Amino acid sequence: MFGWTGNILRVNMTDRTYKKETFSEEFAKKWVGGRGFAMKILWDELEPGIDPLGPKNKLIVALGPIAGIPAPNTGKTVVAAKSPITGGYGDGNLGTRVSEQLRKAGYDMMIVEGVAAEPTMLYIEDDKVEFLPASEVWGKGTYDTNDWIYAKYGKGVGVLNIGQGGENLNLYAMVRSLEGRAGGRPGIGAVMGSKKLKAIVVKGTKPIPQADPEAMKKLGTADLRTVHEMDKKSGWSIQSTTGVLAWCNEVAALPVRNMRKTQHPDAWKIDGERLNDARIATYGCPTCTMRCGITIHDREGRESELDYENIGMLGANLEIFELDQVGSLNYLCDDYGIDTISAGAVLGFYADAIDRGAITGDFKFGDAEKAKELLRIASLREGEVGNMLADGCMRMAQKIGKGSEAYAMHVKGLEISAYNCKFCPGMALAFGTSPIGAHHKESWVITFELKQTVRESYGREKAEKVIELQRIRGGLFEYILACRFPWIELGWELEHYPIYFNTVTGLNWTLDDFWKVSDRIYALMKFFWLREKPDWNRTMDYPPASWFDPANADTEGPIAGKILEMDKYEELLDHYYDLRGWDKRGIPTKKTAAALDLQDEARTVEKYGKLED
Amino acid sequence: MTVTVKMIGPFIYAAGFSEKTFDLPAGTTAGGLMDLVNLEKSRPKIVTRNGRAVAPDDTLEDGDRVVMSPLYSGG
Repeated sequence: MFGWTGNILRVNMTDRTYKKETFSEEFAKKWVGGRGFAMKILWDELEPGIDPLGPKNKLIVALGPIAGIPAPNTGKTVVAAKSPITGGYGDGNLGTRVSEQLRKAGYDMMIVEGVAAEPTMLYIEDDKVEFLPASEVWGKGTYDTNDWIYAKYGKGVGVLNIGQGGENLNLYAMVRSLEGRAGGRPGIGAVMGSKKLKAIVVKGTKPIPQADPEAMKKLGTADLRTVHEMDKKSGWSIQSTTGVLAWCNEVAALPVRNMRKTQHPDAWKIDGERLNDARIATYGCPTCTMRCGITIHDREGRESELDYENIGMLGANLEIFELDQVGSLNYLCDDYGIDTISAGAVLGFYADAIDRGAITGDFKFGDAEKAKELLRIASLREGEVGNMLADGCMRMAQKIGKGSEAYAMHVKGLEISAYNCKFCPGMALAFGTSPIGAHHKESWVITFELKQTVRESYGREKAEKVIELQRIRGGLFEYILACRFPWIELGWELEHYPIYFNTVTGLNWTLDDFWKVSDRIYALMKFFWLREKPDWNRTMDYPPASWFDPANADTEGPIAGKILEMDKYEELLDHYYDLRGWDKRGIPTKKTAAALDLQDEARTVEKYGKLED
Repeated sequence: MTVTVKMIGPFIYAAGFSEKTFDLPAGTTAGGLMDLVNLEKSRPKIVTRNGRAVAPDDTLEDGDRVVMSPLYSGG
């Protein structure tokens, strides 16, 4: 078998043991890697109903067949577990040297089980695994932790770590790596913290098995250069992802004031133009030649690396339009190791609930200094307010009541990324049907909606587009393991990826082979949900009620008076389920499961909830 | 008539301005306006007017705000 090492590292934190296991070629071809591996392992090994923050949950670190190979942009790693914020399967990807180092150590995946007795760092060097004390950095932020690790091992090692957010089980705690990189929005950092696992450090020295390493090196190196030239020609990385803020503001899709509004006259103060002007450095992931991490000095003079989601959710959504203050909030999230998107949504919801009189408090939109304090207490779970904020919007609304559920901006418990879709039906569907909760990484269709369809439309073509992109973004890139940016932002053709895959594996796959894998993984994610929630129904795929409330429509601007319509959203959801071969609840049928080679999984899930034929 | 043009992201640096007001003869189309700015014609883009997409042969009106953007893909 080429392309995969064929090895899994299984670590038990409770008894401080580890072992190397193997997986079959059949498993590799069926699930490919990354999200596919993680989903299948968690399906097979987790008992339904377990506490995501208890000892029975498992942390997965998974790589794909092109991860760590010198090609565009393969420095990505998937981290996954049963999510503490949604209760379903949860994952995320992040740029880290782990993608190369763990493969060179001889593994395609790590499974971390149990709970350590004291704060621990795992050090992996090829076949050696050490359980090292980490009490010295327990309670410290991710930047200090990285410095501590680099002082011991140098900067070439692969690192995954957590901050105080993960240690204190903040439900949207992330896993962090180098500079501004973070991944695992659905609380994967909290799962790591629940195991008292402060950091994973990896160093590998073995070659990654490839069918034709020389051909891959030649091809990948040339393609990295070409992507770099494409980026320079297009000018994309001058503003990177942050360029989209000004566009969202123009077309009324910007999250403002807990997504009550879609535009703001001061948005320009934190847009990509201002960010580029304030730039002091640019960072990127390993094997990336279109680096997107624009770094500025924050209000306190620290380096803060920003992307669109950061300025959208910590800036516009909180009506904070001082760029250095947005930088400060972003720095704090990164250092505490909590998700910037959820943090912006949580603080926005808190300010909104206070503003509407549903709860008493002294936080207002636009108050950056108070926001800093709230991020601190949410990360440390300090006091009643800190504990409430640490639980995310869904649980906050359940606690606050008084109708606040309507404007708690989440789907399935995961806060919505920085696109206000109160009048973008297709993108609302993308958020609604994202199986890990409202994450933009699965599918993003707003320019398609505006350019190639009518914005008002709830037509079948929007459901088709959402699925097409879920297969690519939530599928291919998440299991072959590469960053989607060369493709989505520069037009680097998808056809390159089967070539990389075939060169390293010696197989002869086409893109169509990958789409079946994508659909298989999505179907199993839904089975995971049904196993956890036998009463699952289609309302779990609904966006928040405020996007359907005429009272929440914009009163001015390009979408004044417009809002999503529930009966039409239901029709769009029916189109989506029909195209996927899922029933009216949004669960794959037996026929669909069989077509995706999931007969065994279908039989298992039927012990918990009925499947339609 | 006057039409305001707003450039987005890398188009700002290619066109040489972020926002600019143009005096145009009545009947100018979106395509006619695009001919006046320094953007590569073959480059994929989305052009909106007052928040809605426009086609090249759509006629502009006095006071329109036209936004020219690359086809962002949501990060």
